Amino acid sequence: MRQAAASAIDRLSRLFGHVTAWLTLAMVVVTASVVVLRYAFDTGFIWLQESVTWMHAAVFMLGAAYTLQVDGHVRVDVFYRRFGPRRRALIDLTGVILFLLPMTAFLAWSAWDFVAASWSLKEASRESGGLAYPMIPLLKSILLVMPLTLALQGLAVALRATAVLRHPGPRAAAR
Amino acid sequence: MEWLAGVLFLSVIVLLLAGFPVAFTLGGTALIFAALGIAAGAFNEALLTGLPNRIFGIMSNATLLAVPLFVFMGVTLERARIAERLLDTLSRLFGNLGGGLGISVTLVGMLLAASTGIVGATVVTMGLLSLPTMLKRGYSPSVAAGTICAAGTLGQIIPPSIILVMLGDVMTSAYQQAQLDMGIFSPKTVAVGDLFAGALLPGLLLVVLYMLYILAVAIVRPEAMPPYRRKSGERVSHAELLKAALPPLALVFAVLGAILAGLATPTEAAGVGGMGALLLALARGELDLARLREITRATLRISSMVFLILIGASLFSLVFRGYGGDDAVHAVLKGLPGGAFGAMLAVMIAMFLLGFVLDFIEITFVVVPIVAPVLLAMGLDPVWLGVMIAVNLQTSFLTPPFGFALFYLRGVAPATLPTEAIYRGVLPFVGIQLLALILLALLPQLATWLPGAIYGR
Repeated sequence: MRQAAASAIDRLSRLFGHVTAWLTLAMVVVTASVVVLRYAFDTGFIWLQESVTWMHAAVFMLGAAYTLQVDGHVRVDVFYRRFGPRRRALIDLTGVILFLLPMTAFLAWSAWDFVAASWSLKEASRESGGLAYPMIPLLKSILLVMPLTLALQGLAVALRATAVLRHPGPRAAAR
Repeated sequence: MEWLAGVLFLSVIVLLLAGFPVAFTLGGTALIFAALGIAAGAFNEALLTGLPNRIFGIMSNATLLAVPLFVFMGVTLERARIAERLLDTLSRLFGNLGGGLGISVTLVGMLLAASTGIVGATVVTMGLLSLPTMLKRGYSPSVAAGTICAAGTLGQIIPPSIILVMLGDVMTSAYQQAQLDMGIFSPKTVAVGDLFAGALLPGLLLVVLYMLYILAVAIVRPEAMPPYRRKSGERVSHAELLKAALPPLALVFAVLGAILAGLATPTEAAGVGGMGALLLALARGELDLARLREITRATLRISSMVFLILIGASLFSLVFRGYGGDDAVHAVLKGLPGGAFGAMLAVMIAMFLLGFVLDFIEITFVVVPIVAPVLLAMGLDPVWLGVMIAVNLQTSFLTPPFGFALFYLRGVAPATLPTEAIYRGVLPFVGIQLLALILLALLPQLATWLPGAIYGR
């Protein structure tokens, strides 16, 4: 049951990550186009430039949960990688409870007013010709989506770790 | 309450060693300290309300936008096996020269600069790519290991490494803050382009010193780096060399040249570079949908990893500053004997030691913002300081027994390669690094001349 929940979260994070990843290609194409437009056609669009910033933010914020799922967030693993699976599970479980969940909770809680203000002001880009109304509040809303998805994936990591801790491996059982 | 800032810093270092991801350990530990402080009435909770704005600042930071684009370019060059083919062609070209393979490895390490900027990843790539060939061709294991470790860390200081982009961004704000502290209200600026230009000559100096050392070994101890006797039919034709080496070289030079000539911002150049790498991979028939998918996902993972550390570090520095840590560090640095020299020496030694536990990204985002403003306020040049930090950390990553690069090579090296051989092989390179640091300290022009000549700073 718990493992099924963890797997479901994994699938969700992966889907989210895989879709978001294509934005990196879009960033490259749009940035290169902006340069070509400027040098070859002597023209440019502010919203096009701003869209790269927008995609960039979406990439690393929305990709955070997927990166956690594939263990892509860098660790100081001088000792960690010599540890056995049980000790690793213990560290992961403690880390999620002590660091990850409080941090994501705080990020979401502190961002709430910031995001709400942007929606109620119907904020648009300060540059003329920049991104129009719903885009900026939408971008700021990522400040809420990121902690939510990250906390979910953290939960999946914790569930996996408890499973390892509950079922002693063959080596631990033999001892 | 300054001592609590010290306890926070030490706690973070110790907790990081447990191995939970850096981004969350940084942010989580800081939050715990803030919560305890608020409960005890020792911490002003209003300080934390600025966090969403700071994170949004990271999200819309125009300089750091270059990071995912450079990563995309580097990952594309790597996945399309362009680096691999370059190494193969170069090693056959220089093969009949003693130490030729070692020189090829150094050159490819230099070109991987744009790739990741994460110490471990580059050393692992270089190790997997070249260690088996070097051993098979009778290279002494220690010489081979030393060359790979050194070449793998070389990319950090050679522009357009993403390390320099991040360091440039941090230096920009540190420099502004330093000048405001000095009462200068129309501050001069320093940009990523300045740092790229500043790092170019010292980086090339290191490349030349590495190659001289390899040639010297090949002459003094030919048995350690035997030349490779080509079999007939393995000759490298000019056409083949041009095909393998010219496109990636042209790409890197075009990207760098566009930035240095002021034709494009680093971000724009990185975007064009990413596009160029894609076209190159496509032209070589190395690009299909599956590989493109791999490239986008790898880019996403690396970017997210980097920026989450930046978010964790922002939370950390808010709390560290809230406890008066910044002021305490500034007071200590200002109180050191020897003025700017004493402060600089202390910072360099501290960073060297921190390099044993922290990667470049963490030091850039956590330590540099604390120490750089006070050093710059003492009149040090921001470009020179940035280059000194980069070379210093590179040295730290190479120094036995704790250097990061050595651990990672150990991880991919066969068990028959003794750890002592890695240590022995890397020592001469540590010597070269120290020589470069001393040269830079004595002749700051090595770093400051080129940006001055280009941008008239």
